[in-house]
Amino acid sequence: MSARNGNGERHTTLLALTSSAMLLPAYQGAQADAPPEYTELGLRYSKYKEDDIPGRKSFGSGSERYDIDVAQFHLLAPVADSWSVALDVAWEDMSGASPWFVGESADGDPRVIMSGASIEDTRTEVSVNTRYYYDRGNAGLSYTNSDEDDYQSDAVSLDGAFNSADGMRTYAAAISASWDDIEPTQGAVPTNTLQDDKDIRSAWIGVSQIVSKRAIVRFGLSYTYRDGFLTDPYKNRDSRPDERKEWTASAGYRHFFQQQDAALHVDYRYFDDDWDVVSHTLDLSWHQNVNDQLQLIPFLRYYSQDEAEFFDVVADTSQRYYADDYRLSAFGAFTYGLRLRRELGNWSLNLAGERYKSDESWGLYSGDEAPGLVDYWRYSLGVDYVFR
Amino acid sequence: MLRVDHDFRAMGGPGRLRLEVTGRAQADAAIAAALAEVGRLERKYSRYLEDSVTTRINRAAGADPVSIDAETAGLLDYADTVWRESDGLFDLTSGVLRRAWDFSADRLPAQADIDALLPLVDWQAVERDAQTVRLARPGMEIDLGGVVKEYAADAAAAQLRDAGVAAALVDLAGDMVAVGTPADRPGWPVGIRHPAQRQQAIAALELPPGALASSGDYERCITVDGRRYGHVLDPRSGWPVRGLVAVSVLAPQCMVAGSAATVALLKGAQGIAWLDALGLPWLAVDDDLQCHGTLARA
Amino acid sequence: MKYLSACCLLAALCGCTTVQPWERGLLAKPEMQWQPDTMEGVLQNQIHASKEASSGGSGAAGGGCGCN
Repeated sequence: MSARNGNGERHTTLLALTSSAMLLPAYQGAQADAPPEYTELGLRYSKYKEDDIPGRKSFGSGSERYDIDVAQFHLLAPVADSWSVALDVAWEDMSGASPWFVGESADGDPRVIMSGASIEDTRTEVSVNTRYYYDRGNAGLSYTNSDEDDYQSDAVSLDGAFNSADGMRTYAAAISASWDDIEPTQGAVPTNTLQDDKDIRSAWIGVSQIVSKRAIVRFGLSYTYRDGFLTDPYKNRDSRPDERKEWTASAGYRHFFQQQDAALHVDYRYFDDDWDVVSHTLDLSWHQNVNDQLQLIPFLRYYSQDEAEFFDVVADTSQRYYADDYRLSAFGAFTYGLRLRRELGNWSLNLAGERYKSDESWGLYSGDEAPGLVDYWRYSLGVDYVFR
Repeated sequence: MLRVDHDFRAMGGPGRLRLEVTGRAQADAAIAAALAEVGRLERKYSRYLEDSVTTRINRAAGADPVSIDAETAGLLDYADTVWRESDGLFDLTSGVLRRAWDFSADRLPAQADIDALLPLVDWQAVERDAQTVRLARPGMEIDLGGVVKEYAADAAAAQLRDAGVAAALVDLAGDMVAVGTPADRPGWPVGIRHPAQRQQAIAALELPPGALASSGDYERCITVDGRRYGHVLDPRSGWPVRGLVAVSVLAPQCMVAGSAATVALLKGAQGIAWLDALGLPWLAVDDDLQCHGTLARA
Repeated sequence: MKYLSACCLLAALCGCTTVQPWERGLLAKPEMQWQPDTMEGVLQNQIHASKEASSGGSGAAGGGCGCN
């Protein structure tokens, strides 16, 4: 076949010219990982409120649950040519009551007994991160401290990403370790320990691949090992193994629709652990550019989990391990909401509202309904500023 | 949204930067970076400056190899690729033919003068490796102008991008690079000038992110006995090519667009088929001032 | 089994044509990032982890908290 005619020549000539040109310094910029151009600052205030537990599911006339306020601060700044530093601080204030245990009513229905007095707690989390950017990727080191009256955590993590020579694929990995101390506040309810600790070790690997000019896909695997006091100290009927091994497999996809000027996000996570918890999480969001200044992001999340092997709606305390915590039951949950981002020069305004609803019958796995299942509303309001 | 235009002169012609930015300070910093880059390349590769890389290489023709940096080696590698892809028509050593051709007087050179220069036109006599270059014969010259202007337009655009400019148009004497698109339209409105009537556009388009380069200067020619002789010379014969007078090509990089336009012009009448096969949007004007190509008005 | 199918899918993707660096403008848009809004992502992960039995899988795991 003659290479002088038709498509053969067209492709070889254009490819030869282009690939030769791309070796020049002026075209190299697009491939190298680079720190952010400008310092970015963000502030968020979020409030979420769990729905009251109805009278038919609890002893007494129903009860209020948690009411949580969260303030977040985020600062990301470039340092020199190839470094960045980030500081994140979160303050969380929670008040209200939480399920203490599940008992049976006179006619045999499971009902929640809530912690009597209102629990008050504040948590402060400070996280610092530094990141180095090199030609073919970046690497980061983080330290996080979380401090509350009854809980202390120190965590470090290390992560890195490496791009293939053509920049089409990125390999990433992360490891982290956390040392946590638990010292339950005495008073509201009797606690099942006075002082204890737990360690968490986790590793993650991921690979992302450019599929087309408009689409990119990512796969990840993770393993987490928890060791220590994993029982909930404030629950009356809770005794859990002191070890837990968790695996996840995840996939993510991003597609840009030029006609609509919008991006579709699809994320899926499969979770499995040695407590027999299995879960599926599907996240969908649509990032619609309405105009240069306004972005609307409707999102939907579906979650379904199977119950832990030692879970019972009414805990069987004769067993070695037992729990009536609704979070270990089989259920399905939907989260849906809307985010809005409005740019105003160097400022941007962020609003978000979401609803979380859970129900035993929405799950992929069957089990008995835990009366403590929770629903909530969340609202967030925030501003970001770029120092341009 | 702030629109800023900045006019300047560089590489022997007028230039213009059009920016859409959020603030004046960002625009000033971006413009300064882009102009510095164009100035750097002009000084580095000018034939007219005593201490330029081009002058150093040409002075050492027939003598010792001249050491060069990675950027220069890359430009020579690129020129070599274009030479091969054009079957030897694109030749950085063909500039010496200007010694025979005087386009300011309506007089043809003597064939003997051209024949005397032709041995100096030989890209294969340019000995290159990654660190050095040597022109094998005394009197040989290279002129990187044929690739550096378009490269400078791309490099200026890269500087604007690096400075955080999302939408800008670089115009370096008719070679254009679009960064992003203007806020209110799908591309940057640009015109392709009529080769004979310079005030008139033969084509108008909205340039999407990418580049538009043109080759051919209809007015730089001499007319002898009613016959037109343009300034684009065939390196094999030393005589002006015939067939096309102007070519414009759209490509992701200005450098590729510029080479494609020049090669098509050098190929003369066959340039049309070559452009057709290349696969990039193009416009060519032939000797009879007829338009051809995917960008020509229907 | 799931790991296996993910690997097969990835292998199939190796066949995709190279998207040149200058053609990656759309992929570089903020809304095309894995997590375009860091603070929102952190908050959502934190809230969901406090209501559900599973967490993690989206990169480096952070520390714990006594959130109930």
